[in-house]
Amino acid sequence: MSEIKPILNTLMRSKAGALLLILQIAITLAIVSNAISIVSDRVDKLSEDTGYDEQGIIAFTVLTYNRNIDRAKQFKEDMAKLKEIDGVIEAMTVSSIPLSSSGGSWIVSDNPDEMLGKRVDSGYIQANYKVLSAFGLSLSEGRDFEAQDESEGGDGQFPSVTIVSRAVANKLFGEGKGLNEFIYSGDNMMKIVGIVETMKSQWPDSKMGDNVMLIPRERSSMYQRVIVKTEPSKRSKIMKLIEPLLLENERQRVIIGIKGLDEAKAQTYQRDTLMIRMLVALIVFLAIITALGIFGLTHFNISKRTKQIGTRRALGARKSAIFSYFLIENALVTVFGLVVGALAALYLGGQLMALYNIPALDWSMVFYTALTMLAMSLLSVYQPAKRAANISPSIATRSI
Amino acid sequence: MLMHYFDLAWRNIKLTPLISLLMVVAIGIGIGVTMTSLSVYHMMSADPIPQKSEQLYAVQLQTMDDGQTWNTSDDVPTQLTYIDAQYLMENSPVAKRAAMMKSGAAVHLDKADSAPFIEDVRITGRDFFSLFGLSFLHGEAWTQAQSDQAAPVAVISEDLAERLFQRSDVLGESIYLDERSYEVIGVTQSWQPTIKFYDVNNGPFQQAEHIFIPFSHIEAYQLHSWGNTNAWKNEETRSYAQFLNSEMIWLQFWVEINSQSQLKSYQQFLMDHMLEQQKLGRFNRKELDYNLKTVNEWLGYNQVIDPDNKILVGLSFMFLAVCLANILGMLLAKFLKRAPDAGVRRALGASKRQIFYQHLVEVALLGFLGSLVGILLAQLGLIGIRETMSIYVGIAKMDWVMLLISPVIAILACLLAGLFPAWVVCKTSPATHLKVQ
Amino acid sequence: MLNMQNIGKLYQTEMVQTQALREFNLTVNEGEFIAVTGPSGSGKTTFLNIAGLLEPYSSGQYMLDGIDVGKLNDNQRSDLRNQKIGFIFQGFNLIPDLNLFENIEVPLRYRGIKAKERKRRVEHCLEQVGLAGRARHLPQQLSGGQQQRVAIARALAGEPRFLLADEPTGNLDSLMARQVMTLLEELNQAGTTIVMVTHDPELARRTPRNIQIVDGQVADFTLYQGGQSPRVNPQKPVEA
Repeated sequence: MSEIKPILNTLMRSKAGALLLILQIAITLAIVSNAISIVSDRVDKLSEDTGYDEQGIIAFTVLTYNRNIDRAKQFKEDMAKLKEIDGVIEAMTVSSIPLSSSGGSWIVSDNPDEMLGKRVDSGYIQANYKVLSAFGLSLSEGRDFEAQDESEGGDGQFPSVTIVSRAVANKLFGEGKGLNEFIYSGDNMMKIVGIVETMKSQWPDSKMGDNVMLIPRERSSMYQRVIVKTEPSKRSKIMKLIEPLLLENERQRVIIGIKGLDEAKAQTYQRDTLMIRMLVALIVFLAIITALGIFGLTHFNISKRTKQIGTRRALGARKSAIFSYFLIENALVTVFGLVVGALAALYLGGQLMALYNIPALDWSMVFYTALTMLAMSLLSVYQPAKRAANISPSIATRSI
Repeated sequence: MLMHYFDLAWRNIKLTPLISLLMVVAIGIGIGVTMTSLSVYHMMSADPIPQKSEQLYAVQLQTMDDGQTWNTSDDVPTQLTYIDAQYLMENSPVAKRAAMMKSGAAVHLDKADSAPFIEDVRITGRDFFSLFGLSFLHGEAWTQAQSDQAAPVAVISEDLAERLFQRSDVLGESIYLDERSYEVIGVTQSWQPTIKFYDVNNGPFQQAEHIFIPFSHIEAYQLHSWGNTNAWKNEETRSYAQFLNSEMIWLQFWVEINSQSQLKSYQQFLMDHMLEQQKLGRFNRKELDYNLKTVNEWLGYNQVIDPDNKILVGLSFMFLAVCLANILGMLLAKFLKRAPDAGVRRALGASKRQIFYQHLVEVALLGFLGSLVGILLAQLGLIGIRETMSIYVGIAKMDWVMLLISPVIAILACLLAGLFPAWVVCKTSPATHLKVQ
Repeated sequence: MLNMQNIGKLYQTEMVQTQALREFNLTVNEGEFIAVTGPSGSGKTTFLNIAGLLEPYSSGQYMLDGIDVGKLNDNQRSDLRNQKIGFIFQGFNLIPDLNLFENIEVPLRYRGIKAKERKRRVEHCLEQVGLAGRARHLPQQLSGGQQQRVAIARALAGEPRFLLADEPTGNLDSLMARQVMTLLEELNQAGTTIVMVTHDPELARRTPRNIQIVDGQVADFTLYQGGQSPRVNPQKPVEA
């Protein structure tokens, strides 16, 4: 390590080059660590378990524009026809499609006068009593709906039972509680008969992302959502059959947006996918540019010092000494740049968090990024340093 | 002399092809990344209707009881109730105003071979077209009388006319919206503001509608919004009449106000209306509140610029700074290698300034070449954005302003990076390089 | 033409101060041809750099053609250099990326001379140094002697009244050296004032006036009157 002092001296004398490198490395670290932090946050969001059988479910909308059609009867026929298709496990009308960022929500409370009790914004999905299995959800507490649960609701009234996500129960009744409690919304009173651990709402990307409740009530409106649960391997084949089959049953309607539930989710998360792609592109380009910069600058430094290096060699310096000289020089500059960059990264992270509601930047994220950059930097200086070590001592005696 | 500098610059670039290429690529990537995010930002923040944005006002009324909150900065709802919208439309003290909402329908021609398709429909007042500057290719907007009678008439865009009839002059033709037959009484020129400023409910970058029908059809045909319908109050709304008379919030409202005095009288009009309604038990609050926001205020208020995009623009400029530091290093290397030439030129009578300019011209040329690469990369980037995010089709593109500004940014950035290296070369004493080469 | 009085030049680096010239006095008259000799490190190059306005001096007064050089700013010095002084270097210092024509053109461009006039002058100068017809060649395609002739042509293109030559034959074999020397003598005959730094005693003997620089001062100079045969320099020049 006795080498460091002369290296530092040399660096101090050629300030411009070293400063540039420090600047580049610092800004790169600031950008990359923040970008990676945002990317990993979004990736977590995208890969979070929603509770649904995303790969098996097909979702679409039927707009029945002829008001004279008996829609209830028509949908009953349709669902029966759909279930005849090979690979279809279940088919039913639903009031809204989960994860699709469209549907109904309301405020529910643990008190008949919602102003007096706790209040929670929650999405709700109405469908027939088999909805839980049709969505591929698994109940963690309580019971599934039964056929007679639906009938209790008859004549426009809401049924008196509901299955809620764990988040809704927790928020109203406390951690782990809520089963068999009553919840209220407007004039409706419902008993929580079941709780599902993981069940995302129609707006997974919002504050009420985990808040959703299922209501056993079958609808058949003019603008009607439908889901079909299939064996995932046969889903794409089934998807193509749906529109012709339904239009054959009744022509005066339009089938809209037939897609897999995973696709619907992807559309909801389009913004995040875009952000991930943009940031990854940014990171990749930045890595290339910075590596090129380090490589180029070292290259230049060496060609500038060719004669000097030859002289050192002539004076007895070993190849390894020359090699390590450049490696140490680079490491010094890089580490200094990384320290500056780490401070810049944390500052930038703080600003982003304050201005744009971005999750806080983790120290460890900065640390690992810095470590990777150090490795990359040493890697890009390897070849030029090797070349420097191979400079012939005879250069010293040759006049240029 | 400038031409001579360009000539020298071009030669020097050719003489060191590798390092020049590296620099051009570095600038190109920097500009490409920056222009990709900046173009989107530019379109997102551009005035969507520059000729009228200061005269058009979005109307908001604080209809909620004291203590209720909304997701706006001032807790005022962004839309109106039917009662208010209806009243403001019929009793307006200013000429041009329109209540509106988005709905939709299955569009078809009632022929066996006409497969119905879904289209958004704007249900609005007859002033909509003159308010927002839509021009008619054929026909015109519905009359007041047609509106009063809820006549089944529609204005459609030329795009839809082409799609349905393969021609634009389709006045008098019938189209079906769901099961209702409409007569086409007007065909507008294609109209697509970069931001759907007049209704940001389903996202500000949605396509504009291609079908327009009178506001009176809402009541006549019991139509529902395909945008957002929000309630803050528990009310019985099972029947449509109940729904229309409820405090449900679901309609947009725009007026054109051309003078300060008009603005005053309109503000008074809004206050009067609210006071009148208070007598009927509505507007149950201590202080009446309303907003009149111009287009750009409205867009800012609704935060149409995606914060993600702001982050990307910021990071891109930092990225550009890294590219510049990089270029600076390469320029320094390149120029220092050629310092002896500069020394000879100095000895032959070139002034420092001439040497300085000569090098800056070279840098500017590199910047310009880099901007070409950058524009190309930005186009690829924008294609990528459009592929990823379908609703950005209208805004993930480069308009001519961005196209022209790319080389300007590139050249300025390069000049900034080139100042130091050029200064180093020109301040070096000429004598140092002359003795032995 | 050139008058230096008590010129001093101090080089200052972090560690050491070097007095390159001190109390340096020299007068060169219009039309003279002077050879400057001296041991390595004696200050020959410093003298030349100062005489050619390439470097400022630390003290004293330097008048060039009646102009007090010390009062000029960098731009004015550049202009003066461009108009009055021609340089010839030991290493030729041709710009490798420019062909002969363009090399010779450089000082003319900085003087703002129009393209047509530039062409005329360049062609004339090339002819003068016997390289007409090779205008489009690049410097590396020529021999050393030819390159030096181009450098001379470039120095002449501006029609300078004062030519500074730094070891103009240092990199040439003796035949080439003699040719270049002959060329310089012809130019001198035509009226150009020439100051030539050399350590070749043979060359020095051919010039009418020799000065020697030792330790940054004019140590000894011998003035020959025209018509008289040159005397041998009493002090043998030290080989550099």
